[in-house]
Formats: sequence, structure tokens, C-alpha cells
Amino acid sequence: MANLKEIKRKINSVKNTQKTTRAMKLVSTAKLRRTEELAKRSRAYEAAINQTMSEIASSIRKYKVGGIRGRYFEERPTPEVVDIIFITADKGLCGGFNFQTIKRVRQLIAQYEELGSKVRLKAVGKKGIEYFRFQGYPLEQEVVGLSSAPDYQKAAQFIDETVQEFLEGKSDKVILVHNGYKNMITQEMKQVDLLPIDIGSFQEVEVTSMMELEPDEGERVLESLINKYIEFNMYYALIDSLAAEHSARMQAMDAATKNAKEMVEKLTISYNKARQESITTELIEIISGMEAMK
Amino acid sequence: MEKLKLEIVTPHGLIFEGEVQSVTFPGEEGEFGVLPRHATLLALLKPGVIEIDKGDGKRESIVINWGHVKVDEHGARALVDGAIPLAGADESEIAKKIEEAKELIERASENKAALAAVEARIERAAKII
Repeated sequence: MANLKEIKRKINSVKNTQKTTRAMKLVSTAKLRRTEELAKRSRAYEAAINQTMSEIASSIRKYKVGGIRGRYFEERPTPEVVDIIFITADKGLCGGFNFQTIKRVRQLIAQYEELGSKVRLKAVGKKGIEYFRFQGYPLEQEVVGLSSAPDYQKAAQFIDETVQEFLEGKSDKVILVHNGYKNMITQEMKQVDLLPIDIGSFQEVEVTSMMELEPDEGERVLESLINKYIEFNMYYALIDSLAAEHSARMQAMDAATKNAKEMVEKLTISYNKARQESITTELIEIISGMEAMK
Repeated sequence: MEKLKLEIVTPHGLIFEGEVQSVTFPGEEGEFGVLPRHATLLALLKPGVIEIDKGDGKRESIVINWGHVKVDEHGARALVDGAIPLAGADESEIAKKIEEAKELIERASENKAALAAVEARIERAAKII
């Protein structure tokens, strides 16, 4: 027979955990809503910059404007150095959210190392950093605090270094991996080749007239626009990842709360049984005592 | 009267969207105005004021720090880093926006002379409103 006091203590402890998980779920729901709002506002910029990039890509194809076939677009067949940027959360308790990203990164490492490329990892978020540090895998760059509070300036600063290195020829490919938001209950792994930019990936749009550039050194205008495009992609990935993190945590906490509830029910039943048993035993003792007295 | 479609966005959201009669941008190589059916153009913008003439006698000014604008015959689309519209319900609100705008410009530019010129423009734009 389980100790009554022991069971009572367990029930209380589970109930306390349930309180915490329920609160965390509510917090995540609220935060998710805020992040979604942020993402929604950013989507206006995304649409605009994509449209502009498509128009430029189309007019390059149509008028064969030179110069732009430069470093940003050059695909190198066997990349020697591959930069993998990945975004994980700073905090845990969000189910398999972080681990999915880590798993994908490990796959990519294996894939490129097989090709003979050198892989450099750039980590955003504490969880990913901790994991690879524990594994003894060197990290080229580590950023903490950016994935839980996306900031355009900081995101731009972070990615600019990588872009600079790419332009200098120190790396041949830049891949961005993050676990993105699909809807309230699903997350989706997203993997983008940030650099070189695949000019074919832009939608073909109708261009009616030759584009003029101002200032006249076309390279500079396009370069800064492309930089913006990359910076924004980085920033947007951070927001997307944050939204996914909150939705994953919401789900994980919801499941935990449910499990706690079931646990309390089970424990309560065994508590009642144990109580009943002890009453029965006591009664038997009294009755048999009385019998003996007769 | 023909109008052109104007869209101004920042990474943090849409700032302006609508049909306007004309718009003036602070281009890197000098200010330029855009009317409907403008030739295709991609230009860099420097810190300054975007002035919008909505046609019905209403004007609007938006202070920006840096960005690009793509113009074609249908309209103009500006991608800017930071933007503050100089508008508000009352004087104190507008005064607050002007302060914010000045701060935005100060962070964007180190050139003191250019800064002063832009600040003067902001004051002037505010007076028109």
C-alpha cells in the first residue's frame, strides 16, 4: 500500500507544475500574437523588395544589362567554404523546435563535408550554441539574444560580416537554416541559399522600358539594394523563427498541462483507493478486536 | 487628373500607400519630383523628406533616413530603412514627430552641414502642414 502522505505530496507537486505550464502557455499565446503582428507588418516590405528584385532581374534578362553578373550571382560548382547560419531559440521548453534545426544543420554539415567543403557554422540563439559547443564543434560566430528579440540593426550587422566575407572570396556559399512558422500548430524547416543569389528564382515580370539608375554607377545602386535584400531576409527569418518558437512552446506547454491533468486524476484515484484501504484495515482491526472480547 | 500609385515601406511596416498626384524624393544626386507616367528609374535616397501632393490640396511629408526608390510608369515604390510621417492630431503630437524625425536623421548622417539642411527642411515641411 502506497503511503497516503506520499501520494498527497505528489499530487500537490504535479498541480504546481501544471500551474506553471499553463501560465507559460498563456504567455506564449500572447507573445505569438505579438510576433505574428510584427511578421505581418514586415510582409509589406518583403512583397515590395521581392517585386523590385524581380523587376530588376527581369530587366537584366531582357536588356542584358552587364555588370550585375558579378559576385552576388556567381554560382561556384564545388564550394570550398560553406557558411551555415542557423537560428535556434535562446530558451528551451518548446518541444522539438530547437532540435529539428540542429538535426538539419548536422545533415548539411555531413552533406558538404562529403563534397570536401569546409563548413563554418554561425549560430544565433543559445540552444544551438550550447549544443555544438558540447559536441566540440567549433563555431565561427555566436550571437545570443537576437533570436528572442529580433532587431533590424543587429540582424543587419550580423549578416553584413558574412556578406563581406563572401564578397572577398573567403566563403563560397551561405546557407540560412531556421525553423519557421507555418500556422498556429505547425512549424516548418526552412533552408535558404542566401548567397549566391539565384537569379532564376525571381518571378518573371513584364518590363516595359529600360531602367535608369541614379547615381549613374549602377553597381552601387544594385549592390546596396541587394545588401538590403539579404539583410531583410535575415531579419525576417528571425521574426519567423520567433513566431515558430512561440507556437512550438505553446503546443509543448499545452501538452504538458494536459499530461499533468491526467497524472493528477490517476494519482487522485490511487489516493482514494489507498484511503479506502486504510479505512477497511482499521475497521477490520476494530471488528476483530471486538470479536476477541466476546 | 491622372494619378500615380505610391507605396512607402520599411522593414517594420507599411508607412504610406495610396494614389497621389506628385511626389518629391530626396535622391542621392539631388531632389527629384515624380509625376504620373515617369520613366523607369531606380534611385538611391539619402536622409531627407519625401513630399507627397495628394492632389486635393492635401500635402503630406515623410522623413526618411536611407533607402531606394523604384519608379515606373505605374507608380513609385520606396524601400526605406526608417521613416516618420510628419502628421498628428494636434500641435504637440506634430512637435513630437518632428523631434523623432530629427533624431532619425541624426542617427543616419554624420555630415553636420547636410544635417542642418535636412532639419531646416523638416521645419519647413512641418509648417506647411
